[in-house]
Amino acid sequence: MRSPRFAAHIFKMAILGLLLLVAAVSLLPFSPAGAAAKGKLTLAWHAGFASRWLDPQEHDGTATPDNFFTAIHDALIKNQGTELYNHLALAEHFAMAPDAKSATITLRKGLKFHNGDPVTPQDVKFTYENYRGAKADVFKKRTERVEIVNDRTVRFVFKEPFLDFPILFGTANVAGPAWVVPEKYYKQVGADGFKQKPIGAGPYKLVNHEPGVKIELEAFDGYYRPVNVKQLVMVSVPEAATRVAMLERGEADLVYFVPGELINKVSKLPGVVVAPVLSGSFFVEFPGFQDPKNPFHDKRVREAVSLAIDRRAMNQAETAGMGKPTGNWINDDVQYAIDWPEFPRNVEKAKQLLREAGYPNGFDVDWVTPLPTFYSRGERLVAQLREVGIRSKLQTMERGIFLQRLQGGLKEFPGTQIIFHGARIGGSWSFWYEGHFKCGGFNSRDRVCVKDLDGKFDQYERSVNPAERKKLAEEIQRGILENYYIVPVFRHAFVNGIGPRVAAAKWQDVFPTITTGYAYPWEDIKLKDQ
Amino acid sequence: MSAFIIRRVLYSVVTLFILSGTIFLVVRFTGDPVALMAEASARPEDLERVRHQWGLDRSWPVQYVTFMQNALRGELGKSFNYRLPVSELYFQRLPNSLLLGLAATLISLLIGIPAGIVSAVKVNTAWDHVAKGVALLGLSIPGFWLGLVLILVFSVGLRWLPTSGAGDWRHVVMPALALGWYFAASMLRLTRSSMLEVLGSEYIKLARLKGLPDFVVIAMHAFKNALIPVFTLAGVNLVVMVNAAVIIEVIFAWPGIGRLLYEGIFQRDFPLVQGVVIMAGFMIVGVNLFVDIVYAFIDPRIRLSR
Amino acid sequence: MATIPADSRFPSRRATSGALRAIVKLTREAPLAPVAILGGLILVALLADLLAPYDPTLPVKDAPIFSPPFWMDGGSLGTPLGTDFQGRDILSRLIYGARVSLIVGLMGTLVAGGIGTALGILSGYVGGWVDQIIMRVTDAWLALPAIVFAIFLAAMVGPSMWNIIVILGLVYWTRYARVIRGEVLSLRERDFVKLAEIAGASKLRVIRKHILPNVLNTATVLASLTVGVVIIAEASLSFLGVGVPPPQPAWGLMLSEARPTLMAGQWWLTVFPGVCILLIVLATQLFGDWLRVRLDPQTRNL
Repeated sequence: MRSPRFAAHIFKMAILGLLLLVAAVSLLPFSPAGAAAKGKLTLAWHAGFASRWLDPQEHDGTATPDNFFTAIHDALIKNQGTELYNHLALAEHFAMAPDAKSATITLRKGLKFHNGDPVTPQDVKFTYENYRGAKADVFKKRTERVEIVNDRTVRFVFKEPFLDFPILFGTANVAGPAWVVPEKYYKQVGADGFKQKPIGAGPYKLVNHEPGVKIELEAFDGYYRPVNVKQLVMVSVPEAATRVAMLERGEADLVYFVPGELINKVSKLPGVVVAPVLSGSFFVEFPGFQDPKNPFHDKRVREAVSLAIDRRAMNQAETAGMGKPTGNWINDDVQYAIDWPEFPRNVEKAKQLLREAGYPNGFDVDWVTPLPTFYSRGERLVAQLREVGIRSKLQTMERGIFLQRLQGGLKEFPGTQIIFHGARIGGSWSFWYEGHFKCGGFNSRDRVCVKDLDGKFDQYERSVNPAERKKLAEEIQRGILENYYIVPVFRHAFVNGIGPRVAAAKWQDVFPTITTGYAYPWEDIKLKDQ
Repeated sequence: MSAFIIRRVLYSVVTLFILSGTIFLVVRFTGDPVALMAEASARPEDLERVRHQWGLDRSWPVQYVTFMQNALRGELGKSFNYRLPVSELYFQRLPNSLLLGLAATLISLLIGIPAGIVSAVKVNTAWDHVAKGVALLGLSIPGFWLGLVLILVFSVGLRWLPTSGAGDWRHVVMPALALGWYFAASMLRLTRSSMLEVLGSEYIKLARLKGLPDFVVIAMHAFKNALIPVFTLAGVNLVVMVNAAVIIEVIFAWPGIGRLLYEGIFQRDFPLVQGVVIMAGFMIVGVNLFVDIVYAFIDPRIRLSR
Repeated sequence: MATIPADSRFPSRRATSGALRAIVKLTREAPLAPVAILGGLILVALLADLLAPYDPTLPVKDAPIFSPPFWMDGGSLGTPLGTDFQGRDILSRLIYGARVSLIVGLMGTLVAGGIGTALGILSGYVGGWVDQIIMRVTDAWLALPAIVFAIFLAAMVGPSMWNIIVILGLVYWTRYARVIRGEVLSLRERDFVKLAEIAGASKLRVIRKHILPNVLNTATVLASLTVGVVIIAEASLSFLGVGVPPPQPAWGLMLSEARPTLMAGQWWLTVFPGVCILLIVLATQLFGDWLRVRLDPQTRNL
């Protein structure tokens, strides 16, 4: 039997050894990404590329650039998974002051940009102050100053309570000042140079950029989270049939936007998982309904239109049933959006309402204009309206012309017209209202202008009481839906294809973020052999 | 001769001026690019800022003068969408378009010339009709359809070839076939008529009398003379293909100039569209000029024409 | 018997009766297949209202979408060639589509030919500054990629069948201008023209009585070759999203709209319109080839 002193000796050695081991391990460069990342994933994107999408500083306000800059850059707070805007990413701590007049952010330790430079509060401040993209005027107008509190903390001080700050700041498809760019590098290469060779703090760094053709990315081993796939390649393939062929041949592992006619085929491909992400909301607008001579002036006529639309058939035909006939035209993934039951279809009641309104034989609509390029659903709408006696013609136009005509307001839509519009807006219900309903809004211009609702909206914007805001939001939305100022049709499914090499027990594994139709966070995608 | 050349060069310059003015106007008439660069939730201030950034708030004459001044210095502007100088984008894509164009020209020659020869030699027989039919098929089928059918058969079905994009020779085959077949018909026509002329000439009759076999007669005499106009046409077609193969490039996601133009148009990327059209015009006018001068060398009568 | 000889070295007197007789002669000697196809298509286009079972722009009541042709599983005789994405009858759309395609093809060619011939004659006969300007504009126009120009025009004035016709005409007139100008240049030197000028005939009269009838041969040949190109261009415009607007039935539009279905196995949606386009273009091309050889050996090398 050994002496107790010997045992104590062994014990001390063991502790010492353990301590040394722990010390040694903690000193190792912690590179979870570098160790695990392997394989290559190819995404076939369904349109062209705009180089500004690689630069969050010039976010164009659409639900498009987030697909790209989320791979290269990272944000302080962002929308991820089921969190609408407040997922902590580069920030390890984020807090709004109780009076909403300031916000404090603390960066994680050890964050680096792709070129090795550390992510500092100075970069955060520069990113915010230099931001020129969507909603930049809002940020500038309401921010008093940006303070660097210490070597990891930044405080944004506002002129007055800024309740919408977290949403505006943290939703990737709304604005971009949370996505931190390296100040030194940005100034060195300039805004245009940055768009050719961006450097960020995101999971992937740029390897090769062929403008408009291909973006090749490689896992960044200094990222604070593990990145699974080593090479991420995004290719622009505007032709849908070609994208599906690529999926079938294994040339693409992820394919966006499978059109309605090909959904069935894709779902039958071996090993392929269809990802029907709920996306844009499609709804009917009645430009000129304020004019007493316009048939749509009468609420009963608008209601008749709603009753005539066969939302389920539209959904079934257009997206193989993967969309959702909606109640509210505002998507449910934004703040204060209300739930509304699905609108019923009742052809008889529609005809009756038309009779009551003074149109026993229906009436003629000059044009039904669907959002380009969704012409086939416009055709279905025309056919459905015909059943209740509303006769109309389809008007197609190229996208650029459509956007321009919308800008022109009522005078571009003379007579009796219907616009079958679609939109996907993130963040808050108020951005939907502001863009598509408010008088003077970017999309609505002078085509809507409902004074009492606009008045309430002003109240909402001026209010600093969350409870009051929520109440106003609900009242306004109810007002729109009960009066059929806008008739929601369905929420369309942005149907994507997941190839057999990607690990996906269910499609949500690859598309976990509900606020977007894209496959981010990119670092979480796994290939089957990992 | 030099008077001829100078005159022709002058014409080319005037043509290019007209071309630049036309494209400048046409592009601006299609509307406002700013509305396309900012959507959904943009505010009027955002639009104004962007408009000012790109100089679009100035009057058209001012914009045109600025544009021409820069163009003469070789600066064709910066693309709204890609933030790169247009010339840089053009030359980045040019090799791809050249590759596709050359391959397609080769195919149009490979289909058109043999078909033309067969058609001429076996004139008015069934072979003539078959040969004509094969070449004409290229004219009678829309390119996008042919392209998709090729993808369906050779890529998805037989798995011999990749579906799209640029890469090695296997990536070029289908787009080149879809593009080149269209031009095979004109090759056939030219070959056929040239051959018919030569075949009916005294020279050939003499060669036949000499006892040379038909095959030799064709190969050595008829073919050679018929080739000049054919290759001229091929050169002109090549330039067109390089700059305007929009549909094929979109179907096959080919990174060429046609696609650059296509996306530029739909994005209302004024500088890009203007720049590409002018560069393309430059190339086309240049090739025509070259051909004119070469022909003038060969045929003195042409030097005296206007 | 004064017929219009194939060789335009001879002056054209008594143009009208000679023309009629020439047409009759041509018809008897014309190649059978192309004429039969063209004739058949024209008939179908004219009698579309009688022949087509359904309205081509509306879904057929109670018919499923993507129904296959009647000889396949799931097909029905009611919609013998199947239905499309909206449930419309393909046969009816093909029949009415003949109308659209023929109108677009013929009218587009007429517009192009009209503009091109007029400019060609003006350029060739008047000469001088007018000639130079027209030729430079023609060169510039030729350097503009045709499809690009068509996209711009369509985006500007919006899609409708008649706009498309004008657009296609504006894009394709350059072919005529060049060639006609060449013809006119050589015609100007002919004795009969010079005699007329010396006799004091006004420029307009000379053009009308002597130049125009003689260039018509060439113009006709060019026209027959252009029809096919115009019809294909309609399909290309539809692909680019600026063609004949839906729901009008046009073969090119049907082909373009149904592109995705090629990959999905619903071959009938593209094959039928594709075959129709193929037939009409082949027919006009072959007919044009034949016409060219018969009418004017000078244009053999076109």
